[in-house]
Amino acid sequence: MDIKTTEAGDVSVLELTGHLDTNTSPDAESAIIALIDSGATKLLINFSALEYISSAGLRILLATGKKLKAVGGDLRICSLNDTVQEVFDISGFSSILAVSKDQDEALSSF
Amino acid sequence: MIRELSRSRLAWDSLILALIVVSCVLVTYQFAFDQAGALGGFQLLYLFDLFFLVDIGFNCVTTYRSRGVEVVDRKLCTAHYGRRMLMVDIIASVPFDLIAWVLIGNGQFLGGSLILALRLLRLLRIVRLFVILRRWEAFSWSNPAVIRVIKYFVSILLLIHWLACFWFYSAFAAGFPGDSWVARAAVLHADAVDQYVRSLYWTITTMTTVGYGDITPGRTTEYVLAGIIMLMGASLYAFIIGSIASLLNSIHASKNRHWERIESVTEFLRDQKVPAKTNAEVRNYYEHVWERFQGVDRNRMLADLPQPLRLKVLLHLTESIRQTVPLFKHSSGLLRDALLTSLESQTYTPGSIIAHEGDRGRSIFFIAEGDVEIVSVADEKSYGTLSNGDYFGLMSLTLGEQRTASVRALTYCEMLVLDHEDLTHIREEFPEFRDILKQVSAERSEQISALLMEGVVL
Repeated sequence: MDIKTTEAGDVSVLELTGHLDTNTSPDAESAIIALIDSGATKLLINFSALEYISSAGLRILLATGKKLKAVGGDLRICSLNDTVQEVFDISGFSSILAVSKDQDEALSSF
Repeated sequence: MIRELSRSRLAWDSLILALIVVSCVLVTYQFAFDQAGALGGFQLLYLFDLFFLVDIGFNCVTTYRSRGVEVVDRKLCTAHYGRRMLMVDIIASVPFDLIAWVLIGNGQFLGGSLILALRLLRLLRIVRLFVILRRWEAFSWSNPAVIRVIKYFVSILLLIHWLACFWFYSAFAAGFPGDSWVARAAVLHADAVDQYVRSLYWTITTMTTVGYGDITPGRTTEYVLAGIIMLMGASLYAFIIGSIASLLNSIHASKNRHWERIESVTEFLRDQKVPAKTNAEVRNYYEHVWERFQGVDRNRMLADLPQPLRLKVLLHLTESIRQTVPLFKHSSGLLRDALLTSLESQTYTPGSIIAHEGDRGRSIFFIAEGDVEIVSVADEKSYGTLSNGDYFGLMSLTLGEQRTASVRALTYCEMLVLDHEDLTHIREEFPEFRDILKQVSAERSEQISALLMEGVVL
């Protein structure tokens, strides 16, 4: 899995590539924790290059959402492919997380 | 048109049935015991005739069934009735005795009154009694075995009454000579009711082969008649005993079959040295299946039905779950029908594992009835319970991951199971299904998230 972090104004953008599963989620979790620890409160995770997400990946998203909420921050997710979108739909994540169509829409929603 | 199985027809038929029995009793009683009475007596019979004439009119416009389809065309219905029963009903209903009395007066026939003999034509009404009872067998609420019991008892009681009348009439027609049974039993000058009771008593004792011998035949014709009645009695006795045994069996046929099955299964398990506890569980399961489904294998029964009929039955059987399971509540008619015909019914006993930890999900389970517990069997940790209307299995199936917990039945559970192939087929055929799943999952997102955070994927 490839993790790329960029800044868009006061929003930290995390771009995940490949599979977010049991093997790769510890890396993703570390990257997210590092961002939050460095003071980032607005986090956008871009899934445009993410092919697959497992339950472990979903758990990280839930935990991240909670952490950011605790520090008054916000989590946005954008650009889900069809497979990931379906997982979000049947897990109810589409309704509990703020999911946007693309990065621009997500950035403007903060 | 009058529908064959309508409530109004049922009510009318009940009345006609009662009138048939009463008139069949009255005309023979009058013929045998009231020859000396006024011919104008029993005027009630003429009132009954009016009802039977109206019944002929109703029968002309009553629908009938042909090859399982109700024929409602008026001309066809009238023609059908005209071909089969009209003549019999006319002979049995038109008061020919009254017409003959008015036109030619009374005369002699077989040693008795011609008018009273003509009244016996009303006995043909017995044919209508069987037609009505056959119609009642078609009612879904009626038990054919019970209708048969009614048929047997009415027929037997009427037969006994008729034979009693005929037994007395044999003496009357000969002019009550001194050696006739009536004279020897000293009831010659008794009133008609006493004579009837004696006659009935002799018929019953003879037919049931009891034969006390206090009333015996005295004349050749009486001996012949007694012989015939004895033969009829013996045959009838055998017939009644056989019929009642078979009827009682058929009334509880399914229950008997079910218990026989339980007996053979438990005996087999005993022979195979299966532990008594397991054997008791198997027995409890069968008892539950009996209480819940009266021993009917629902899946096999549904598989036997053609698709449209299966759907009709399913819609009824799943009425409560369709109101509780959100997936059904949000589905359109066609999608709901596709889901219903794809679901398989499964029963689980208390304590049994419905979905195993470590298995890869291949099905979605809807709880139609019962309570289940989400549990890690290894460390006996419970993650909560689900009950009527809840479902599980979708996450493991969609993510393609192994289940991280098991689902155990706490009570007897009736599950409706949708397997992966059917789910894929429904997803392809009904694009809106995905939106409905999304909506349903959104309603349960808190529960799913809580389980996910504990590492539970079902």
